[in-house]
Amino acid sequence: MLFFLVHTGWKKLWTLFFVSVISFAVIHLAPGEPSQIDPLNPRFTPEQLQRYREAFGLDKPLHEQYWLFYSRLFSGELRSFKDNQPVLPKIVERFWNSLPLFLVGTILIWCYAFPLGVASAIRRNSFFDKITTVIVFALISIPGFYLAYLLIIFVVQTFQVDVIGLRTFGREGISPFLSLMDRTWHLVLPSVLGASAGIAVLSRYVRSQMLEVINSDYVRTARAKGLDEDTVLYKHALRNGLLPFVTILGLLIPGLIGGSVIIETIFAWPGIGRLGYEAILSRDYPIVISLNFIAAVLTLIGTLLSDVLYMVVDPRIRLEGAE
Amino acid sequence: MRVRQILIVAPTLVSIFLLQSYFWVPTFEDQARGDPGRLTRFIETSIGDASILNPTLAADSASATINSLVFEGLIGRDLDLSFRGRLAESWDILEETYLVVDETQRLPDGTPVTGEGLLRFLERARRSGDLPLQMVWKIELLPGRSKVEQIEVAVPAEDPGTPSKRTIRVTVYQPPRLRFTLREVDQDFFVKLDNLLGGYSERIDPARFLEAAEPIPPNQAAELVPPIEHNPVVLFRLRKGVLFHDGTEFTANDVRFTYETIMNPGNLSPRVPDFEPVKSVEPLDRYTVKITYKRLFQPGFESWTMGILPEHLLNRERLEAEATRLGRDPRNFSARDSSFNRAPIGTGPFTFAGWKTDQFIRLDRFEGYWEGVPNLQAYLFRIIPDLLTAELAFYAGTSDAYSAQPHQVERLQDDPRFQSFSRLGLGYTYIGYNMRRPIFQDVRVRKALGMAINVEEIIDFVLYGQAERTTGPYPKQTEFYNRTVDPLPYDPDGALRLLAEAGWVRNAGGWLEKDGQPLAFTLITNSGNEVRRAVMVVAQNAWRRLGIRVETLTMEWAVFINQRVDKGDFDAVVLGWSMGLDADLYQIFHSSQTGRFQLNFVGYANPEADALMIRIRQEYNHDRQVAMARALHRIIAGEQPYTFLFVGKALTLLDRRIVRMVRDPDGTPRYLPIVPDKLGGIRFHFNEWIKTTQPVLTAD
Repeated sequence: MLFFLVHTGWKKLWTLFFVSVISFAVIHLAPGEPSQIDPLNPRFTPEQLQRYREAFGLDKPLHEQYWLFYSRLFSGELRSFKDNQPVLPKIVERFWNSLPLFLVGTILIWCYAFPLGVASAIRRNSFFDKITTVIVFALISIPGFYLAYLLIIFVVQTFQVDVIGLRTFGREGISPFLSLMDRTWHLVLPSVLGASAGIAVLSRYVRSQMLEVINSDYVRTARAKGLDEDTVLYKHALRNGLLPFVTILGLLIPGLIGGSVIIETIFAWPGIGRLGYEAILSRDYPIVISLNFIAAVLTLIGTLLSDVLYMVVDPRIRLEGAE
Repeated sequence: MRVRQILIVAPTLVSIFLLQSYFWVPTFEDQARGDPGRLTRFIETSIGDASILNPTLAADSASATINSLVFEGLIGRDLDLSFRGRLAESWDILEETYLVVDETQRLPDGTPVTGEGLLRFLERARRSGDLPLQMVWKIELLPGRSKVEQIEVAVPAEDPGTPSKRTIRVTVYQPPRLRFTLREVDQDFFVKLDNLLGGYSERIDPARFLEAAEPIPPNQAAELVPPIEHNPVVLFRLRKGVLFHDGTEFTANDVRFTYETIMNPGNLSPRVPDFEPVKSVEPLDRYTVKITYKRLFQPGFESWTMGILPEHLLNRERLEAEATRLGRDPRNFSARDSSFNRAPIGTGPFTFAGWKTDQFIRLDRFEGYWEGVPNLQAYLFRIIPDLLTAELAFYAGTSDAYSAQPHQVERLQDDPRFQSFSRLGLGYTYIGYNMRRPIFQDVRVRKALGMAINVEEIIDFVLYGQAERTTGPYPKQTEFYNRTVDPLPYDPDGALRLLAEAGWVRNAGGWLEKDGQPLAFTLITNSGNEVRRAVMVVAQNAWRRLGIRVETLTMEWAVFINQRVDKGDFDAVVLGWSMGLDADLYQIFHSSQTGRFQLNFVGYANPEADALMIRIRQEYNHDRQVAMARALHRIIAGEQPYTFLFVGKALTLLDRRIVRMVRDPDGTPRYLPIVPDKLGGIRFHFNEWIKTTQPVLTAD
């Protein structure tokens, strides 16, 4: 086990290095440069542009820029081009804003996808199954932003309450309880929207997984033993059916930093997805590459975690190098 | 079974918990009723957040909005766009000019030139009332001195390739000079003086005052010892008793400091181009500051509308103390790194109160504002990146202003809930022709291309009528815009006749050609701007109907600018300029500005226009400047380097309950409507704004 961890850890470090090189190169190969200069300001001279480039190290060869960039990132000195604020605290602050959205969204996905998937599998081809199939495919196909607009307009016009942002804007001096409820309410729409596609996709997986398991031999054996249907379905079938989803747990981790660009932008949610999106638009390389790098780290940790989890929950799995 | 129950209970509980929170959230009605303070808070939404709250360093419009409330400039624009004093109470514009004493020459009376002799001669002329010296207030003789300088000269390279540069030592024998102090700026002062002295200044050879191992190019020699020099001077008399938000008095030192902050290379200020022509900023006393310019540059005056920084919070010692506190190297710690930029202190009507990145910025009114306390208690700048949600927030009352999209204008401008203000923009959209290409060198071709496009149709259908035609390079609200210039008529047949005159005739296939060459080119624009793209398609269609083979292409902005526009590698472009309020067009149309990365990328060159552009930026008399600008407008419109298309209009909506409130001497409030300034901006009386519980003005 230890050997396995060291071995894959080493491999993942290499992957990380290549990711860092590629993400750095891709950004710099893209045309255009960051600047705080209005390109249409007629009074800017090339010399002044040059001074900007020097100050941000953009005139150095790429490999030097690469070295400079990552050493600054790790020493916490890296600053955003846009507002000169240190990058890491900026990302951390946004992370805390995105976290509730991510958590509530994930809880919603897992709370709804399993009952839906299991119920459709058990009642295969029933009316219920067909209806959920239609709804689920509708949710997958309708663009998120469109659904978001419909929901916002509906809720605002029907209930006359604020739904934009972290809390009701301009509401000041309220008790901690009211503040908590206010924030909870503002979580509802974005997290439901963020979760809708997830519920749809995951419930389809659960359904097909359950169907496969229900038709397997040991379920038939369990039925033949005379066990009651609930025990057969929820103990024998479901537990085995759940196995593949353990891997999804690990893959959730990168979602922590991905955020949701569209939902966060529509709801004016100061989260991490919006940070990245706006950084790309303003060519704020330090933010873009840092987010990219952190996401890569989290993805690698996630895959490592899901490998390990899989090994733990399913004794049949033995990974290469573990024996 | 337990598992089965969990599967049912868990989603139900989660849903109930989430949905019950609705009952604790106030509806909009409750908000307004339960919170009378809302009436004194003005909320505005913006797509993007501010980046740096320091007027010398900010370059984005969101930061500018906040900075304009927290900081204040020496001068500002009045309702009619003329300048009015803000932190400066009044000002005088005069001029200091310098003339080298060249002892190799003779005076008109035959005596050899000496410093004293020249001075005596001119003093005599001044006393006898000779014309060019009437406005001279004082003439002084300055002694000469010598100095050694290191300069870079371009030496002719041995092999014809890049011109190499070398640094050489030059001894400069600065000759004595006469300094004239003029009551007003006169760009023709030396022309007039030369009439009196018989072409004296033109005969001065700067190289005579230099000693170096090798010859120095004439232009560099003239830089080291300029025979004549114009130094416009602005004397600002500052308002006394104006306080920064921390209670410190604003003085002339703060003006000097603000200038130094901009010019400090370590700060990378985007305002450098505006202040580069300034030679010095000297506080003469606590409330007087003298600004001297290196050369005649009238547009530089407007730069003093920029907010003034507090010296005592950003000077070297404070920055070093801050760097030490943060554990950073004080040598690399610039004003750009200071926490001041996230919690600014200025002299403006509102004080900074808080900033949640990408959520909001809050400003509270400044109780010590010199012009009187604003009526509004607070100003909130709320960031909503999505236009539709911003619109909904406006309808619902969680924001007080909204800029309508062109297609919404018709629906919203007569809505009884709102008051609406339509304003014309400062930018215009145009099609520019690369005049390095042979086909565009003929003005008849450029004119014909313009006449083929139905601009009114573009305005009606692409912009929903929210635009106006423009005929030239100036904003239509300024006096520089020449209203007597007629727009090109929409006349495809006339266009064909013009093209035929220029030698382009239709061939058998219906395509225009000349000497067997087809009339073909590519029209490009940047992607992401739907209006420009639509203009491009309309133009392509119109020109194809004449028989011109037009291809079109859209490109990402950076590629478009770097690979095509900056390199002059294009035939025709659809683009826009956003203009300032000054009359200076030097960068955009002067023939010296056609190089790489310069803005006259269409390669327009006209000697008469060149001369006018230089005279315009050197002219400090408004009426004369207006006359020349109008003449320049006519020349450019006649030559059509661009097909000038339209200026966009914008509609701002406000809650109808927002009005101006002024108090009579006895304290009774009087309500007045919001009046836009000449540009159409509505913020001129922002400090008097207040929201009332119900409309108090009759709608008319």
